Amino acid sequence: MTLSQLALTIGLLAGLGLLAGRFGLSAIPAYLLAGLLLGPHEPHVTSLIEPSEVTTFVAELGIIFLLFFLGLEFTVDRLLRSGRHIGLGGTIDLTVNAAVGLLVGVIAFGFGFPALILAAAIYVSSSAVTVKGLIDFRRLADDETDLILAILVFEDIVIAGVLGFAAAGGTGVSSTLVAVAKALAFVTVSVAASRFLRKPIDAALGRLPGEFMLLATFGFLVGMAAIAKELGLSEAIGALMAGVVLAETSIREEIEERFLSFRDVFAALFFFVFGLSIDVGALDTVGWLVAVAVVLTVLAKLVSGYGAGVVGGFSPRQSLNVGAALVAHGEFTIILAQIAAGNDAISSGDRKDFVAFAGLYVLATATLGVILMKESKSIGRRLFPPRLA
Amino acid sequence: MAQDLRETRLPGVGTKFTFTTDHGSRVAVIQHLDGSRDLYVFRHAGDEEPSAVLQLEDDESRQLGAVLGGAYERPKIVEELEMALGELAIEWVQVPPGSPAVGKSLAECAFRARTGITIIAILREPEPVTGAQPDDVIQEGDTLVTVGKLGQYPEFRRLLTEGP
Repeated sequence: MTLSQLALTIGLLAGLGLLAGRFGLSAIPAYLLAGLLLGPHEPHVTSLIEPSEVTTFVAELGIIFLLFFLGLEFTVDRLLRSGRHIGLGGTIDLTVNAAVGLLVGVIAFGFGFPALILAAAIYVSSSAVTVKGLIDFRRLADDETDLILAILVFEDIVIAGVLGFAAAGGTGVSSTLVAVAKALAFVTVSVAASRFLRKPIDAALGRLPGEFMLLATFGFLVGMAAIAKELGLSEAIGALMAGVVLAETSIREEIEERFLSFRDVFAALFFFVFGLSIDVGALDTVGWLVAVAVVLTVLAKLVSGYGAGVVGGFSPRQSLNVGAALVAHGEFTIILAQIAAGNDAISSGDRKDFVAFAGLYVLATATLGVILMKESKSIGRRLFPPRLA
Repeated sequence: MAQDLRETRLPGVGTKFTFTTDHGSRVAVIQHLDGSRDLYVFRHAGDEEPSAVLQLEDDESRQLGAVLGGAYERPKIVEELEMALGELAIEWVQVPPGSPAVGKSLAECAFRARTGITIIAILREPEPVTGAQPDDVIQEGDTLVTVGKLGQYPEFRRLLTEGP
């Protein structure tokens, strides 16, 4: 990737991102679309950028920053305070959508490891798209918003578990179990570190002057990602745990403030690079699958969100809002696909299909999800008209 | 009096505070993790769509809070005092970090001779200095209680930050 190609890329990302924002849509599908346009597959007229070591590396940094920020939000205290909704609502969401995901996965790849990862990718909604929608559509003050956010937290925890074996599992039952064991050990050591080393880390990082604090934190983050990768896990779980270790320190807010722009830039590039590898030509093979999955997802998320709402004591209209807010898929679906694409245990044909599927699936659900979210209140008024007293 | 102020955490967003007013409206304040706040007003508590949403930066919300809390209300006695004081002001001035005045005595700094402003007390931990004397030494983190004319303060602040 040359500088002029990078300039073109970033220009296109900013342009399409702004355009998406104009229509009230999330920027994630816009970034994917930019990658799809400039990538080596169809349309060939605009094929200007070849995936290379550089693009892979940039994408890796994007994953690292996305997961680091997720980890920074994970503290025991915060999880406990997510409130009463998290258990029941999260379980309903998991049961319904993972089942639907597994169904699609088995149809696509037969029963096996790729189907499991696809189930996770179809289960998990997009926190980024949903939270942006809640802010844009002025839903933050609504009571059901608590439930929506609690379900998203539950999903994040489940996906953190899946990341543990997504990169290494699949070669056989015993080696998958080894990968899971390694992931568990890594997570346990990191959580223990965050409990017992918090004070020394806090003191050491807090005393460093600004620039070196930045470098030391970045070094720690990349170091954790590298260790996880060397262990045969994914860099994602390493970055996540780096966030968890720093989540309880007093400098967490400063870290978030200083690294926010890094995350935004590299996350945008990550989605773009992923877009490069989407082969629209694969529509022949995965097109029908995407269509089936999108229809099933919309239905399953609406039903499970509605169910979680009703069980949580919300009105039918409020419950509909919950379902609509969870339709959009985004960052985690893409991250899972990217990690699966790096797993040699999955055949190269399946990997290619997986990437094309995830890209098109996110493009569709993120767009549809935002529209549904915007309209859910007026749909609700029509479906459940106010009873006249 | 709103009895039902509810605090809810919005994971990944911030904290939400809601209450219903005596007149039947509902107010929600969202405190974002970055410090900005959203103020949602629902004219009737059961409304689905907010009647107004106000986005406030950290300093703006503090100011609004002070106005609502009555800190800007001027009791009559203060107004009378102000008349008596006229142009004279009593100000709390914080010594900026890295100020050249740190480590010098009030006599050395000669603020009164240079600007006309008198330092009457120094607020510091653990013990404030009341009735500041010429040989009292200014320390990092001090807050100076001063008396002077309003017009003298810009020069005083410059001296404190940059030195003579």
